[in-house]
Amino acid sequence: MWQERKADLVATMKLRRQSLAKGWYKYSRNPLSVLGLIVLVLIGTSAGLAPYITPYPAHAGAFTNFREAGQPPSWKHLFGTDRIGRDVFTRVIFGYRFSLLLGVVVLSLGVAPGVVLGLIAGYRRGTWVEIVIMRITDVFLAVPPLVLALAITAMLTPNLLNAMFAIALLWWPWYCRLVFAVASSLRNQFFVREAELCGASRAHILFREILPNCVAPILTKMTLDMGIVILLGASLSFVGLGAQPPTPCLGTMVADGAKRLPGEWWSTIFPALAIVLVILAFNLVGDGLRDVFAVEEV
Amino acid sequence: MAKFIGQRLAQSLFVLFGLSLLIFFIARVVPGDPARAALGFLATQDQVEKMRAEMHLDKPFVVQYYYWFTGLLRGDLGKSSYTHRPVTTDLGQFIPATLELILFATLISLTVGQVTGVLAGYFRNSWFDGLSRLISYLGIATPSFVVAILLIFVFSQLLRLAPSVGRLPIMVAPPPTVTGFMVLDALIAGRVEVALVALKHLLLPAVSLALIHIAQEGRITRTSIVENLDKDYITMHKVHGIRTSRLVFKYLLRPSIIPTVAVIGLDFAFLMSNAFLVELVFMWPGFARYAVTTMLNKDLNAMVAVVLVIGVTFAMVNLLVDILITFLDPTIRIQRRGG
Amino acid sequence: MALLEVVDLHVGYRVFEGYLKVLNGVNFEIEEQERVGLVGETGCGKTTLVKTILRVLPVPPARIQRGQVLYHGKDILLMSPREVRGLRRREMTAIFQDPLQALNPMFTIGTQLRDILKDSQERVGRGQRTQRAITARCISALRDTGMPDPERIMSNYPIQLSGGMRQRVCIAEALSRNVRLLLADEPTTNLDVTIQDQILRKLDQLVDQRGASVLIITHSMGVVRDLTQRLYIMYAGSMVETGRTKGVLASPLHPYTQGLMRSVPRLTGQGISDGIPGRIPNYLQPPSGCRFHPRCAHAMPVCVEAPPPFYPAGDNHRVACYLYRS
Repeated sequence: MWQERKADLVATMKLRRQSLAKGWYKYSRNPLSVLGLIVLVLIGTSAGLAPYITPYPAHAGAFTNFREAGQPPSWKHLFGTDRIGRDVFTRVIFGYRFSLLLGVVVLSLGVAPGVVLGLIAGYRRGTWVEIVIMRITDVFLAVPPLVLALAITAMLTPNLLNAMFAIALLWWPWYCRLVFAVASSLRNQFFVREAELCGASRAHILFREILPNCVAPILTKMTLDMGIVILLGASLSFVGLGAQPPTPCLGTMVADGAKRLPGEWWSTIFPALAIVLVILAFNLVGDGLRDVFAVEEV
Repeated sequence: MAKFIGQRLAQSLFVLFGLSLLIFFIARVVPGDPARAALGFLATQDQVEKMRAEMHLDKPFVVQYYYWFTGLLRGDLGKSSYTHRPVTTDLGQFIPATLELILFATLISLTVGQVTGVLAGYFRNSWFDGLSRLISYLGIATPSFVVAILLIFVFSQLLRLAPSVGRLPIMVAPPPTVTGFMVLDALIAGRVEVALVALKHLLLPAVSLALIHIAQEGRITRTSIVENLDKDYITMHKVHGIRTSRLVFKYLLRPSIIPTVAVIGLDFAFLMSNAFLVELVFMWPGFARYAVTTMLNKDLNAMVAVVLVIGVTFAMVNLLVDILITFLDPTIRIQRRGG
Repeated sequence: MALLEVVDLHVGYRVFEGYLKVLNGVNFEIEEQERVGLVGETGCGKTTLVKTILRVLPVPPARIQRGQVLYHGKDILLMSPREVRGLRRREMTAIFQDPLQALNPMFTIGTQLRDILKDSQERVGRGQRTQRAITARCISALRDTGMPDPERIMSNYPIQLSGGMRQRVCIAEALSRNVRLLLADEPTTNLDVTIQDQILRKLDQLVDQRGASVLIITHSMGVVRDLTQRLYIMYAGSMVETGRTKGVLASPLHPYTQGLMRSVPRLTGQGISDGIPGRIPNYLQPPSGCRFHPRCAHAMPVCVEAPPPFYPAGDNHRVACYLYRS
């Protein structure tokens, strides 16, 4: 008995390995996606190890050294120093930390409720359940997320935690709508009807039959959204509603440095390019995933 | 068709009602004391209490909403606690400046995006296609405020080609307000040189807003051109000897343009939210800057109005886009007529 | 001189996995006012052949390696785009397999038909009279295909028409102008059986009236028997047998043709045959020599070495098979 099961498991694992290999093959056909992945891994590891690999970890916080303030890029300070003498390179790496944290937190809070609601609405299409869920979704999607995020954070005390909370609150409707579209198209497929005829529970149908078919578009959208959420976070902190000084946050750094253009250009241009780089990398990876999963549009 | 528009209008009204509830909820329930914020730290407790009563902050949520809603029906959105003027007056003053900016940006992004998209798609895999793909990747990944800062740095500060602040130089007297669009007003007043200066001021902010959309629209158009080039009916048009200009500008462009038109609504919304940042960078005296300033000052009435205005604009643009698509795409037109 | 003559045509596709050698030395010809059938399995290169002749093959990924497509002795593959357009406007045209995809969904039937006529004529005035004349010709072209109520159809969009009606529109598009050669690539495959016959008869009649030549590509033996005078059998990118339709059908010589004939289900109670063992080859690494040899019961050592030339077998009947070398 257990041997059979083991053989089964081995077969499944083999299949999984094969489909992974095939997926990687498709992914690697696009050199830009591979480049994006490499950049992401680099950014991710350096952000994770920031306290150990940056030249001046102390500069991430409230540190001042006016003797070295406003220095242009050199070997000592790759990206120069800001107006109070902190190493811009160090702060950019630490800034990535907060950007990535923001993206991960927002998506992990926002995706699950959106997916569940979308599944329910899609499966119960045409009932009042769908109408209630989707109309509420419409309300949240009636203005761009940045506007509502600004409003919410402005009402609360501006800081990183509240920015995360505000964006997460606004993120579920996108997934609700995406999953709704997939689920309502799958509702009448044979495998769903069969499961119903076999007397499967509603939870089984939603999470074991329909959900697996939504994974590809969800994953792709999540990757692309990481870029968008990071952008949104940077925008909030650019306005002054995100993480407060001395937290090294890319948007705040750009805003601070912009006041000192064109003289000390490095203190704003490098953080700005850092934002572009991480969003670009997420977009490239997302496009690669889209090729792998053959997702039309998310 | 009329039935379709009616349905969509009803749906939009419902959504806007929901939106007003949502934003009202955010504004009133979230901790913080707007009355205190409006009066500043020097005000006495009595003054704050009086202000609270004046703003109906001491009443339950439903009552507050009722007061606000009946006000809305009378065309009264309350008083801004930041500018101390009726919110409607503020909006009337600031919206045209933003509209000018957004419309100009839309014009740029639609034309440039369409043309590059069509060319890149028609000459796919050429050097032009490669270049435009590269630029579009960068365009999509670059936040508009970063574009704005880069443009100011390069074109205004280094090359001194274009101004970076406001709508007109301080020394130039603005033309009398007719449309609220500085360029048009100057032309109406017959001051061509002022119109040119205003246009120059408009250039950098509009380009910073437009860039991301140029990239997106170019990409969508390219994809749909490529998709349509492979369609049997294009081959058939060729086989029947249709001349190239007709083939490209009529038979290829019409089906390809629809996906681009379909995203205009969403694009417009994102243009508006990007305007929030771009106006800050360029100190553009517009609606978005007003919005950010009032939000930062916890100006409840202004904030609710701002969000609603954006919601209404978004809903209207989407409705227009839907109608436009119905006219462009006979397939949808026939389906709607039938069902 | 033949109206159309294809000489030793090699066409392939560059794909990610490598190079697909599809057309492998195609030779065939069509005389003036002749009706020729071309029979072969799905995937044997029929559509590639038609698209090459019409110069609508997407290059790349396709690549024309060598060969000639002579129209009145002039190589179409070497013509300028301008000459090619002239050719499509006045000399040759085509009908493709899928009528659902062949019409632009964004424009009315009338618009599409009118534009073809406008562009096909050298001298077309802008006056109202010319416009009206063009419309009249479109309507009569539609009526000729047996389309009911052509005036109304002119203002309809493709989505409003059934598959059969759309194929009639395609035929009207092809025959609205006087072309000398019509290439019909499986014109009825995607239609209901009851409509297939009607449409084919109408097509036949129209081609007859106009004195045009026609190449009918199909995998139905019944269609070629009824409609064509001469017949080509194609296998994996080259012609394997040709001759008068009656002769070839009565006494097929090539082993592939014989297998094909056996595969036709009959209603005489003999049951369904086994067909031909194996399947059409992989074009990435096609078999050397005669591409049919891996599936052929009569394969000889020589078959692996070089592709067989056509051997005459009497009365215009020719066959590319070493069995008939003597």
